[in-house]
Amino acid sequence: MDFSFTDEQEMLKESIADFMEREVKPDRVARSYQREDGYDAGLFRTAAQSGWLGMQIPEEFGGAGGSTMDTAVAFEGFGSGPLPAPVFSAGVLSPLLVLHGGSADQKRQLLPAMCKGELVATLAVSDSGMGFGPEMVEAELASGGDGFVLNGSKQFVQDGAPAGAYIVAARSPEGVSLALVERDRPGVSVRPHGGLLATVAEVRFENVRLPQAALLGAPGSGWDTIEAALEPALPVLCAFKVGACQQIFDTTVEYTRERIAFGQPIGRFQRVQDHVVELADHMDAARWITYETIWKLESGIPARGFVHEAKAAASEGYYQVVNYAHKVWAGPGTVMDHPLMAHHIASRVLYQYLGDPAYHKRRMMDALYPIPA
Amino acid sequence: MAGALTVVPRVMHLTLASRSLSPTAGTGYDRRAMDFALEQVSPELKPFQEEVRAWLKDAMAGSEHLRWSANWSTRENDEEYRFRRGLAEKLGARGWLFPTLQPEYGGAGLTAAHQTVLEAELSAYGLGLDHIFYTLARIVVPCILYHGTEEQKLEFLPPMTRGLISVWQVLTEPQSGSDVANVTTTAIRQGDEYLVNGQKIMVGHKVPPDWIWLLVCNDPSRPRHENLGWLYMPANLPGITIQHLPMLMGIKNAVFFDNVRVPAKYLVGGENNGWEVSNTHMELEHGGGGGLTGDPAVERLLEYCQATKRAGKPLIADPHVRDILADALIETHAVRLMNQRNYWHRLNRKPHPYGGPQLRYYQRTVRLRNAQRAQQILGYDAMVPNCDVHEVQDFEYLLRAGPGQLHGGGTLDTDRLIIARRMGLGRTVKEKAAVTI
Repeated sequence: MDFSFTDEQEMLKESIADFMEREVKPDRVARSYQREDGYDAGLFRTAAQSGWLGMQIPEEFGGAGGSTMDTAVAFEGFGSGPLPAPVFSAGVLSPLLVLHGGSADQKRQLLPAMCKGELVATLAVSDSGMGFGPEMVEAELASGGDGFVLNGSKQFVQDGAPAGAYIVAARSPEGVSLALVERDRPGVSVRPHGGLLATVAEVRFENVRLPQAALLGAPGSGWDTIEAALEPALPVLCAFKVGACQQIFDTTVEYTRERIAFGQPIGRFQRVQDHVVELADHMDAARWITYETIWKLESGIPARGFVHEAKAAASEGYYQVVNYAHKVWAGPGTVMDHPLMAHHIASRVLYQYLGDPAYHKRRMMDALYPIPA
Repeated sequence: MAGALTVVPRVMHLTLASRSLSPTAGTGYDRRAMDFALEQVSPELKPFQEEVRAWLKDAMAGSEHLRWSANWSTRENDEEYRFRRGLAEKLGARGWLFPTLQPEYGGAGLTAAHQTVLEAELSAYGLGLDHIFYTLARIVVPCILYHGTEEQKLEFLPPMTRGLISVWQVLTEPQSGSDVANVTTTAIRQGDEYLVNGQKIMVGHKVPPDWIWLLVCNDPSRPRHENLGWLYMPANLPGITIQHLPMLMGIKNAVFFDNVRVPAKYLVGGENNGWEVSNTHMELEHGGGGGLTGDPAVERLLEYCQATKRAGKPLIADPHVRDILADALIETHAVRLMNQRNYWHRLNRKPHPYGGPQLRYYQRTVRLRNAQRAQQILGYDAMVPNCDVHEVQDFEYLLRAGPGQLHGGGTLDTDRLIIARRMGLGRTVKEKAAVTI
């Protein structure tokens, strides 16, 4: 048992914190989250150049060959912005989908570009707004010409606006299949939502013609690929949320010292203190469940149930941490330019992204305590 | 903040893949980052782990059915109590109750890593070193270790650390609950003795104590916090009366002190210096000790749902039950991890700034919710009173303990007060957690 990070991880943590402090200024983050595509191209480029994409991908494919914990350390840093760039979708999940589902050729072609940030891809699963899972896939992939024809409307695609390609889950006769669809193919249209959905866009596919090579893995294997990629990817997303919670905690504690009301710092009021106490409970529950899950994952302990648990705890944690912070920050925290507003948007969107807590709790129970036959 | 962007060279990340595992000096732990392993130990510890495992198997033989009774309660049955005391005595004889303490104080002079092995092996039976049986030695020993004289340590510690005696902590008074500095039980020096008068309440357990760890006021004329003292004294001195007090969670007691003459050598930490000693005491009572367990009651609930059928179907197959269990499991898991975090911080002598009271607060709110969850799943069955049944089936105790444990050692509100001070809310200086090891 050892609850500290390695020296290398401490160094990585420091360099990310440095980058976040120097480059990812609160006003820059706030501006990004008010754009309708929720995106800062410059910051994404820097992350890519720094080698922070594809950290879990083997070196032979252009990745860093790092562990999930290494990646989580970096993403915990990114969460304290929250960094307005598709570093998770394009730098963690998409490369892992290719790694787990792609052919040798696809891995050789796609992964180096993904790790350099030249190919920005994002996963599109559910067609409508509620629910997650194979049954939520409605888009259709039919044979046509030398390849396929894709039709469907993915209404809520995380990082849909900055993406240059989509890994689309679609129904084919064999089941759910995955196809890599470049954005510039005829029939692809993108409409960012803006507002609370600043990082989400609707992506439509109308009679999009795809070559055979667009298929990621065998037809019908799409959901297995998604599950295999989510196992090492979700804990990294959880770490991002934990880092977000930590920043909210730090700035909120500071605010309780600086903000004077009724003649004293508001942190002297026990009712204000209570909000911060609850905030920290949610943060630390999310933090330690996430860390232990990653340890299990990397120690060869069957971890799928715990990955679902971590996703539920971290999503719920981030959401509640933001709520308690609102109670402390009151009016100023709801001004769109305030740093809390970026977290507000991220906490709401990431609550839904890749399955909400209710979904993941059920999957956790199914993995840990299957219903007896 | 100005300055050119530094792009971190890619080569730095390449080293991540091949990080080396080097031993950490001092702690006896293997250096492996964010390592939650309790079973896997370093090669040097392997023989110790095997020794403990074999020894424990032997010591538990015939009493395995008690294994779920880990969390001491105020209503454990007689068989259970006898078993626990016997086990404590056997562990204590080897110095294993307080393994890191030096042998002259009744410990085994082992490292923190050895203690973790012991805790981990015990936790396989649902037990922990903290409360093998009802005694507050886990709190009192560090207090005497930090604040006692050498003579006191040599005399007082071994009987406790060897598991030979039970000790009650006796702090609360009718007018001094969470506001513990307000105690009015007096201990006035008269020659070589202290004359003790006053009343304590809601303390102890149904089996009388051998010794008492008593918070007193040495001098009522002095200011608050500067008038306290601690007595570590035999429980059978003339003038002490103990009366059972039935409470929601079982038997507690009122203790009366009527002109009790206590030899002066039993004062620990100096006259009017009791608040200093209280810092060590409170940090441990308020969760700073940490441990490796969550709440076995939730495991029991899960087993019950797997084994019990309702309308021909196992409870565990009911989606509503599964949703309730999921919440109970996640929160109880977080309790275990905060407990483990505090344990690690304590044994590394880096107390977590707010971790102690946080664990305590969170744990108690989770237990309260789990009590309701048990009722939501079991209905009336959760409330069947049967004190003779081992806790393995005794969900009624869970229903009592949920709300019944909200006040012990101070209310939830004092927890939050301490957390706020430790976090430095509304203040520039953060209160520090006491070192307790």
